[in-house]
Amino acid sequence: MNNGFTRRQCLKLLGGGLAASVMPSIRLLAANNDERLRKTFSGDQTLPVIGLGTWRTFNVGTDPQLLDDRADIVRAFFERGGGMIDSSPMYGSAPDVMGHALQQHGTPDSLFSAEKVWSPAGGSAEEQVTDLKSRWQVDRFDLVQVHNLTDWREHLAVLREMKAEGRVGHIGITTSHGRRHEAFEEIMASEDIDFVQLTYNITHREVEDRLLPLAEEKGIAVIANRPYDGGSLIRDLKDRDALLPDWAGAECGCSTWAEFLLKFIVSHPAVTCAIPATTQVAHLRENMRAGLKPMPSASTREKMVRYIESL
Amino acid sequence: MNPWSGYALQDFIPFTADIYFRLLERMGEAFWPLQVLTMALGALAVVLALKDRGRLACLLIAPVWAFVGFAFFVQRYAELNWAGGYLGYVFYGQAILLLVTAAAGLGFDKASRRRPSTVLGAVIALAGLIGLPFMVTLTAGSWFQAEVFGIHPDPTAVVTLGLAMIILRGWVLGLIATIPAIWLLISALTLSVLEAPGAILVFTILAVGLFGLVWKSVERLSAG
Ligand SMILES: NC(=O)c1ccc[n+]([C@@H]2O[C@H](COP(=O)([O-])OP(=O)(O)OC[C@H]3O[C@@H](n4cnc5c(N)ncnc54)[C@H](OP(=O)(O)O)[C@@H]3O)[C@@H](O)[C@H]2O)c1
Repeated sequence: MNNGFTRRQCLKLLGGGLAASVMPSIRLLAANNDERLRKTFSGDQTLPVIGLGTWRTFNVGTDPQLLDDRADIVRAFFERGGGMIDSSPMYGSAPDVMGHALQQHGTPDSLFSAEKVWSPAGGSAEEQVTDLKSRWQVDRFDLVQVHNLTDWREHLAVLREMKAEGRVGHIGITTSHGRRHEAFEEIMASEDIDFVQLTYNITHREVEDRLLPLAEEKGIAVIANRPYDGGSLIRDLKDRDALLPDWAGAECGCSTWAEFLLKFIVSHPAVTCAIPATTQVAHLRENMRAGLKPMPSASTREKMVRYIESL
Repeated sequence: MNPWSGYALQDFIPFTADIYFRLLERMGEAFWPLQVLTMALGALAVVLALKDRGRLACLLIAPVWAFVGFAFFVQRYAELNWAGGYLGYVFYGQAILLLVTAAAGLGFDKASRRRPSTVLGAVIALAGLIGLPFMVTLTAGSWFQAEVFGIHPDPTAVVTLGLAMIILRGWVLGLIATIPAIWLLISALTLSVLEAPGAILVFTILAVGLFGLVWKSVERLSAG
């Protein structure tokens, strides 16, 4: 019997050792997992409540400096237990930039990859998903959404088939800026979808009336986009040096405006996660802290709205 | 349903201000010290225009448009915005228009230095050549971000607008001024979505340029 290693085994071991030494692994930082709020969707699966958006911020083309900056954002996100990252063929090079970041830092199990199909990008839904997978360099997306309802009937039919064959994890639809809510509601009521993505933040709460209750009733997971209203909401508060209310710390563990605004969103019972976008690691850190408990109660949420309206 | 209905201006600017300024900077880094040559070329074109050598001025700046179309739009901007490739073709189109105008000798005017439109044209061309590079001080970026004639689209468009006002007249003037004016409008809108301070400056230059074009038409009508 030969107890020595074969050449192939030696190479494999050497390769493994080399990979372990050069592959920058993602180290999970401090916060105890119990402190991080996760919400349940599709019955028994869970997601951290703070995700990451990529519109505008991740469209950096082949600029080596900015590619590395964005890879740092992704690493910091995963180090803080981040889950959902949302992109779209509408976001220029953002899917390629995600591919670059995942190649640099590896793809952790916590990643919940969310993409979209968008008619103006050209090609069928299936072609778009195939192309996006190669750009992200992943085998499968956890979620594919129909972006802004473009050709939603055709796209949803294809995505549903892909889901049945296990080629995508979940399917959904998106809107933003309060656009086309009536059509959105009809699709939510009549189609079998797992996720909806819509705009919800402390100054844009129309979805509380119909869409969020309907999502809860039908067990559809909700992604809140534009949590900072594209940035203007938090920038305005920070630039004005507006003060947090003195009860913010005690009642919901908020010490920054980022926590205040994001905790308001993700503490709505129907909301699964919010996906703030950023180009700065410091901002990402602030945003990720909003995923830590405690969360505001229903009465504190009302106080939060009144406080923002009073400013 | 039209897939573009319901989109707003900001949906067509798919990058943040830092990404756009890095794009300008990467152009500066990639081609340095070509800037010295293109600025000298621009200055020469202005001198030629003022000396009634308009056809030569057109011939000089035509390849500059093709270069910016390729190096800025097709090679770089198109990575960030699907419209970038088309804008590249529009810049090639302007290069061809300039060449055809120069070759045909159509629509050229005498650059009388006493005419207000000549003075305004020269001021605009110099603002594009010398003033725009200093716009970088508004954003406190590196000098490679400085927008330079023949490398970046804004100064290329501004200088061309100024030159056209000096050397051309009638419908040919309108034709040659159209693409620079459209690009300046796109650029000013882009900068305003990005909340960049340069937006006001580009809007102002465009407004002065359009005023100059109208002025020149009126000037010619009253002279004729
Ligand atoms: N129809 C759709 O499907 C749809 C539409 C809209 C959005 N979305 C998705 O939702 C995501 C989020 O929306 P959004 O990107 O439009 O807007 P957003 O997340 O509300 O705002 C992003 C802006 O907020 C700033 N920001 C982030 N964290 C901050 C902090 N802690 N302090 C100060 N400023 C901060 C960022 O600037 P810095 O870079 O300086 O941090 C960035 O400019 C998108 O990226 C996209 O993935 C989808």
